[in-house]
Amino acid sequence: MLRGGVIAATLVTCVAFAAPLGLPPLPVPADNPITPEKVKLGDKLFHDKRFSSTGEVSCSTCHEREKGFTDGLPVSEGINKLKGTRNAPTVINAAYLHTQFWDGREPTLEAQSAGPFINPVEMALPNHEPILKIVRTDPEYVDLFQKAFAKTGNRVTMKEVEQAIASFERTLIAGNSPFDRYFYGGDKKAMSPAAIRGLDVFINQGRCVSCHVIEQTQALFTDNRFHMIGSGAKQMPKNLDDLAVAVEDVKKRGTDIAVLSNEKTSSLGRYAVTRDLTDIGAFKTPTLRNIALTAPYLHDGSLKTLEEVVQFYNNGGREKETDPVPELLSGGIRPLNLSKEQEADLVEFLKALTSP
Amino acid sequence: MRDIRRYFGVLLIMLIVTAALAMKFPAQADEFTKEDVARWTKEFTTVVNEGSRLFHSSTLGKNKVSCDQCHPNAANTHPETYPKFQKQIGKVITLFEMVNWCLRNPLEGDPLAADDPRMVALLAYILHERRGVPLAPGKH
Amino acid sequence: MKMNRRTFLKTTGAAVVASALPMSLVRVAFGAKNPAQDFTFAYISDAHIQQIEGSKFVRNWDMGLIRAIQEANLLTPRPDFFFFGGDLAQLGKKEELDHGLDIISKLRGKVYYVIGEHDYYLDLGKYWESKISPLWYSFDHKGVHFVVLNSILTYDKWTHKNWTTPMDRMLAMARLDNPEGSPFLVGEKQREWLKKDLERVDKSTPIVLCSHSPIQKIYKGWNFWTDDAESVQTLLKPFNKVTVIYGHVHQIQYNQVGNISFHAVMATAWPWPYPKSYVQDPSHLPKLTVPMNRADPFFERDATGWQFINLRTGNVDMHYQLPDNENRSVVFNPKTGSPKDSKYQDVSRHIPPQNHY
Repeated sequence: MLRGGVIAATLVTCVAFAAPLGLPPLPVPADNPITPEKVKLGDKLFHDKRFSSTGEVSCSTCHEREKGFTDGLPVSEGINKLKGTRNAPTVINAAYLHTQFWDGREPTLEAQSAGPFINPVEMALPNHEPILKIVRTDPEYVDLFQKAFAKTGNRVTMKEVEQAIASFERTLIAGNSPFDRYFYGGDKKAMSPAAIRGLDVFINQGRCVSCHVIEQTQALFTDNRFHMIGSGAKQMPKNLDDLAVAVEDVKKRGTDIAVLSNEKTSSLGRYAVTRDLTDIGAFKTPTLRNIALTAPYLHDGSLKTLEEVVQFYNNGGREKETDPVPELLSGGIRPLNLSKEQEADLVEFLKALTSP
Repeated sequence: MRDIRRYFGVLLIMLIVTAALAMKFPAQADEFTKEDVARWTKEFTTVVNEGSRLFHSSTLGKNKVSCDQCHPNAANTHPETYPKFQKQIGKVITLFEMVNWCLRNPLEGDPLAADDPRMVALLAYILHERRGVPLAPGKH
Repeated sequence: MKMNRRTFLKTTGAAVVASALPMSLVRVAFGAKNPAQDFTFAYISDAHIQQIEGSKFVRNWDMGLIRAIQEANLLTPRPDFFFFGGDLAQLGKKEELDHGLDIISKLRGKVYYVIGEHDYYLDLGKYWESKISPLWYSFDHKGVHFVVLNSILTYDKWTHKNWTTPMDRMLAMARLDNPEGSPFLVGEKQREWLKKDLERVDKSTPIVLCSHSPIQKIYKGWNFWTDDAESVQTLLKPFNKVTVIYGHVHQIQYNQVGNISFHAVMATAWPWPYPKSYVQDPSHLPKLTVPMNRADPFFERDATGWQFINLRTGNVDMHYQLPDNENRSVVFNPKTGSPKDSKYQDVSRHIPPQNHY
């Protein structure tokens, strides 16, 4: 059940075109239908480095098309290579998520897009004014905003910027992977025998399917919920004093800034948003689609390969079997007793989730 | 002419023999007596009782947990709703598959084949405790 | 309305409790007329630590108790003390009780203990009494009178049947749906003791009775039942504010009988079905109760948890902490004089996971 994660209050309509094989209909908010003009504008905004204090960082710096719309780094680097604390999630299929960011602190693609511009370790603008200055005066943007929103001058606000970026991101959906063709398309040859065995592990002994959801006619590979799986256990507050310090940080500097600049605050996960003790260290289940392209893994990029991830889960949420079991571990995580062959098969299956 | 007569003769003899046999051995396909029903019900009850024994034993899995610890009197198993979409398995399944999920997960044991006598006994007990509830396949 | 300090603090306190965040509970001191003060305490119950063999215990139940204690250690402001509500062990074994106590030793705060049937029937409470706690007792705290009973006794002829071994008796009581079971009792001895104990207590003093069995008659088949419930309730009737807190049922339940509020606590180990889901037998869940959400058994902590209690103005507000599930608050409503779920009480606000069948 969703707790705290809020689907956009505006009505959502599902787009009429057929979604790719294995994906459900694309949700689109009623107040921001997709148009080719918005998509073209959003694409340009997404790649524009001028919206940063050093003129060197755009959304695509950390969400690069060639790298599965992430950056291949454990944690992302903003202006002047300033390190954050979190691994860049892929934008592919982010349109299907009910909340954005690892801790779900923004409910929509629109709302998410505004945050990084003003975060000190990302684009580090003092506020959104520099962006508005450019889009209101640069002739190319003036033309694009006119075509997309029929707005010019001061009627172009961050709302239009966000809506354009979100519309572009909504075109970044991908299904029709070897898994989809095997499972939903009936092509028994689409996956290798190892991947087929891996699918069995995924559903049965691996217990993956409860959070990384597969359903009868489509598979998002995420339940859109937040779980403490053992990642970040080392940095998590263990006692009241540590917790109080981290909460103070969030209260003083705001969630977006605090969690990206301090490892300990970052390890709070969903708790920073809900202040519910049951959410400490919980992070959103990411989709596994295209997972082979988006290494390294987990919210802090601490696991480099899929093999390491599978081992982490096999140990019940621990990198090594000898690590202590985190007290606040989600009830869904436990040692799996997979054999080496089963682990390898599972990795082969995960590789079959890459869309062409 | 003689063949036809012989043919009819054989036919007649066959008819007479069949009629005679029918009188001695009544048609068996759909006749059963009250005693049969009582006996078969008892047969069924032995399986229900075996199912109850297994359900309450701590030997089905590897961690001594028994089904009745979470399902006293097999409550909250909802057998009348199967087949249905089962979130924990990601597709529409039948009851025995869910029993196997429980054997593998909370009981940390091994699954049973659908026609394993132990599985049949468990199902008999579960359904017996839920007797009278109308079917509702697909209900979550 | 004339706003004086007392009204201001009262309304602030009410707003804070409604948001059910543990961070900012306001303590309201009442004047000399009513010495009872606002305070909080926490309740952890039904751990069912279960031995597999040697030093191997069922991981699922261990994790439940471990998690509750870690969360309770992060609760702020700190509760005045803790209760453990019974059924620490699954089969009453010394190994199970010791392992449970080892886990509880990490809890930062004083712990009062209530015994459950899973702790009692192997050795009739000997180890519990010698190592953990008296079986029934009372104490006062900030103007509130707390009573703890051993409410899982039963009829002598069952307890002292010629069992082959003590473990046979324990197993018979451990099996919830045992058709050869025996109903829970407080018993005459403790009722006599309770009567005398309450004689010294002023009728305006709030009373909290901590019991393992419900001191009500809800469903006999699963011993959600205390056979002498009415007799115990009669002893509590003369008092203005009485709350009974009970374990055993592993689910959200609450009720109001005259002047007595009843609140069930959650188990840390596993949830139980509501009695109406056993259709072969009638049962009487209090109509007031809005059920907990149904559990997804994949999440082993779903529909388990612990609770902290705000004893606001002498009545209990219970705040359930439910991992992998939505927290619930059942708060005393002075207008109706009964507990009320802060979000879901009205039927029109029920959600699908609360539909049990």
